[in-house]
Amino acid sequence: MDFDAIVIGGGHAGIEAGLALSRLGFNTLFITQNIDTIGKLSCNPAVGGLSKGNMVREIDALGGEMAHLIDHTMIQFRILNRSRGPAVQAPRAQADKFAYSALAKYTLEHQKDLHLFQDTVTDFILSSDGYSIQGVITERNMRFTARAVVLTTGTFMEGKIFIGKYWKVSGRLGEPAAEGLGVSLRRMGFDVGRLKTGTPARVKRSSLDYSKMEMQPGDDEMLQFSFFGEKVQRPKVPCWITYTNEKTHEIIRANFHQSPLFSGMIVGLGPRYCPSIEDKVKRFPDRERHQIFVEPEGLDSEEMYLNGISSSLPEEVQNQFLHTLPGLEHVEVVRPGYAVEYDYLNPIQLYPSLMTKRLKGLFIAGQTNGTSGYEEAGCQGLMAGINAAMYLQGKKPLVLSRTEAYIGVLIDDLVTMGTKEPYRMFTSRAEHRLSLRHDTADLRLLEKGYEAGLVTEEVHSQFLEKKDKIDEIKELLSQRHLGAKELAACEKEAFNESLRRHTGKTFDQIIRDPEVSLEQLLNIDPSIGEGVRKDWLQQIELDIKYDGYIARQERQNSRIEKMERMVIPEGFDYDSVESLSAESCMKFKQVLPATLGQASRISGVRTSDIAVLMIHLGKKNGSAAE
Amino acid sequence: MNHTYDTEDLIAALATPWGKSALAVIRTSGRDSIDKIAGIFRGRKKLTELPGYSLAYGTLADGDSPVDEVMLAVYRSPKSYTGEDMVEIFCHGSLPGIKSILELLHKCGFRDAQPGEFTLRSFLNGKVDLTRAEAVQEIVSAGSRQSQSLALSRLSGSVSRQIDAAKQMLADVLAAVEIQLDYAEDEADPDAHVDMDKLDQTLDILKKLSATYHVGKLYKEGIRVALAGKTNAGKSALFNMFLKEERSIVSDCRGTTRDYIESSVDIGGIPAVLIDTAGLRVSDDPVETEGIRRSQNIIENSDIVLYLVDSQSGLSDEDRHFLEKYPDSIPLWNKIDMGASAAPAGFISVSAVTGAGFDELQAAIVGKAAGGHSFEAGEAVIDSQRQKELIDRAADAVGKVIMAVAQNVPLDVVAVDLEDGMNALGELTGEVTSADILENMFSHFCVGK
Repeated sequence: MDFDAIVIGGGHAGIEAGLALSRLGFNTLFITQNIDTIGKLSCNPAVGGLSKGNMVREIDALGGEMAHLIDHTMIQFRILNRSRGPAVQAPRAQADKFAYSALAKYTLEHQKDLHLFQDTVTDFILSSDGYSIQGVITERNMRFTARAVVLTTGTFMEGKIFIGKYWKVSGRLGEPAAEGLGVSLRRMGFDVGRLKTGTPARVKRSSLDYSKMEMQPGDDEMLQFSFFGEKVQRPKVPCWITYTNEKTHEIIRANFHQSPLFSGMIVGLGPRYCPSIEDKVKRFPDRERHQIFVEPEGLDSEEMYLNGISSSLPEEVQNQFLHTLPGLEHVEVVRPGYAVEYDYLNPIQLYPSLMTKRLKGLFIAGQTNGTSGYEEAGCQGLMAGINAAMYLQGKKPLVLSRTEAYIGVLIDDLVTMGTKEPYRMFTSRAEHRLSLRHDTADLRLLEKGYEAGLVTEEVHSQFLEKKDKIDEIKELLSQRHLGAKELAACEKEAFNESLRRHTGKTFDQIIRDPEVSLEQLLNIDPSIGEGVRKDWLQQIELDIKYDGYIARQERQNSRIEKMERMVIPEGFDYDSVESLSAESCMKFKQVLPATLGQASRISGVRTSDIAVLMIHLGKKNGSAAE
Repeated sequence: MNHTYDTEDLIAALATPWGKSALAVIRTSGRDSIDKIAGIFRGRKKLTELPGYSLAYGTLADGDSPVDEVMLAVYRSPKSYTGEDMVEIFCHGSLPGIKSILELLHKCGFRDAQPGEFTLRSFLNGKVDLTRAEAVQEIVSAGSRQSQSLALSRLSGSVSRQIDAAKQMLADVLAAVEIQLDYAEDEADPDAHVDMDKLDQTLDILKKLSATYHVGKLYKEGIRVALAGKTNAGKSALFNMFLKEERSIVSDCRGTTRDYIESSVDIGGIPAVLIDTAGLRVSDDPVETEGIRRSQNIIENSDIVLYLVDSQSGLSDEDRHFLEKYPDSIPLWNKIDMGASAAPAGFISVSAVTGAGFDELQAAIVGKAAGGHSFEAGEAVIDSQRQKELIDRAADAVGKVIMAVAQNVPLDVVAVDLEDGMNALGELTGEVTSADILENMFSHFCVGK
């Protein structure tokens, strides 16, 4: 074998997969069509957001790279949804796209055991029995062998871009698609489908009139995604907000017939949660205006990204309607918006390790699995990388549960239900989102990253220190009582009004009152929180405040966990289970669930069939399950 | 999600056939089953301290009011049928008695066991062997299929329409909440807000539906109607009027009906057990005295008491005394065919011979049985305890949501209660998946940068 592993694709999934494999000591070939486009943010210049910010921090806790990349290249930072509850707050940062991409490339280049190579993979080498992957063949007919291959082609596999009636085989505007690979996968019997996504125009910064737009600054305080990364000072740049109007909509409506979306040129399904402007106008005809965000692509770039107005209408139409936006009267378009249609593999063909059921050693991650978003891609890349490493060592794969991580929800959803439209994470997909706060990702996952070998000793010991400190403070809070005297001592201060009714109770009981903050109590006894990081204190406060709700969910978690622990052995013969309904049997055989829990989530499977399966599993294991 | 066979729950079920018998056995199982039952058991022995395989005699009580005299068999895990802690309750075999024990058990956290569930647990805990497990598999799959179809048929069209309406409104509210949770403040649809009107309407529907349980129960389980009155007030004649057949011995000799006779009849569509009691009068005859004692017992255990007064002899002190003691009874002015004086206020004039006043009487019984709940034929009525529990759970959740929104509780927590409500309704009419909610979000709101 030439290498231990090969990673195909230089996007956000490929970066994580390549780094994970090489950091775990595997000699890894990293093939991408263009070394200069590694880590490109193809769409919006931002990382994080609701649930997505959580995933970035989960990647960090497991020893992945995305948090470091954005921490060092952010040009604006915000905590979203402060008003709507801590469980759904999340960090989002505007990125300097060019700096991000450059740092990604630099990181890969300097990684030991990782070998970058520019070429396009067009086919696979299989073992003689046809069941395992053995390597790849490239466009220039190079052959590389390896026992594990991670495929992360993003929108490039048989990619096609559309602008009005114009179309071209491309992965990104101006970049060739990866042709041949989709054909090879189809030939090997994979279920390959088409999906669509779109991106808006980039316009010239100096052609805009900022006096006609609202400024949208970031938070004063720039926090980091990485839990234990070095503190970085970054510049802050604002975004701008403008709106479409009736005029804009009129132009768009008059040109519906020119849209490749509505004319049937594009067959792939697009994301409903991130519709193009023509889609919005069509589906919400009563809406008077749509909000558009004008976001810088980078500090040194003249390009601005028009978030919220992606379009694949003809360029002259785009030009026309963009001019109707306040502030954009003299807009100069640098790159037009376009739609891209690409091949994806229905992820139902994967095990929860992200290895294909059809070919041993072939792992698939990122947009190729039908997801959308940098963060979703990064998560899968990391897990595919870790599990490819596990596969090479003959170890059990690392599979995260739905109750411990958004990553677990993401992968479980993909491999259990498949997807027919670009899959994006939402907090509402997670049954237990109260326990999946972004600030607890390290507590949930860091030990797993450490066990897998990706989290360094240094980070791990910092983590243990933090954990101890948090436990210590919680203990102090549970012992400390609020005395009538000390309340009286600071009686004059208005904020103690809400405290009065809690006299005699312990601090941790008092914090449960929604009207009381930890800060108030620390004012009374500053010794408790002395010298402790603010985000740690906040974590403690939220843990205590949400304790009751989390306990409620945890009881449910334990039920799920129980089903999760009932493993369905590989090669389980569903046909031998007589009383299984034919419909469920077919679904089980397609998904090949790893656990009874996963089996129960397959859509349309009957409760009675799960019970039947449960009984058979107990029988098969020789003894009954617990 | 597979809640149906959750092995964490406490389960209870009648192990003997659902019917009248001398003795009935209710089986319970689950990790805290002994502790839970200890909480409602009054007896000399302390249940929590009893070893496995022991018996305890005493009373089951709901707070201070005793429910039934029982014998309990205590089993300690793993030495029990299911392998969990178990208590078997040996109680009297009367249907109302069994029902009240089951209701008491529900109150302290037990739920009805699914078909085959005890055996399923037993298998999961390694207590039954393979061949029996195969048999359970049959039961479980057959049972759940049956109960699935039952559950569907049980929801009458109008009930499921109302629940669907409530569910749809709740789904809309949830979608509006989720939009705000899944999209940042700056990109969420400004139209997304918690619609309090919808919540109020939902709560209203649920509360009304829940209230119909009483009526639904009447139709399903029927009522007990006792006929009381002094001897010779015409009870047996009226009894026969209901039966439309001569069964009770009707004679002019006072005290002919010494024991009681009961029969199933249909009163205005409600299945009723009609009980003709011995005449109430002081007697030296020990047999008759015993009969009278029993009559009193019957009267106290009936849903409705019809009290007959012979219009020919007029209202006696004895009658007044009875009506004072049981003010809920329906007083009847009988034998009006013989030319009677005007009935006292509140009395219904009837003639057990001609049938005069019989329609009015039936209407009065139905009205009383419904306990003030107005209902019309075809109105949505729920008739199972499970339906009522789920609807109450949903109503409770919606109530909490309304309160939480009013108190500005963060939306992520509000969503927990909303989901609770949705799940409860989902258990009634089919699950609502997060994919359904997302679907709802994207069809109602314009989102996405």
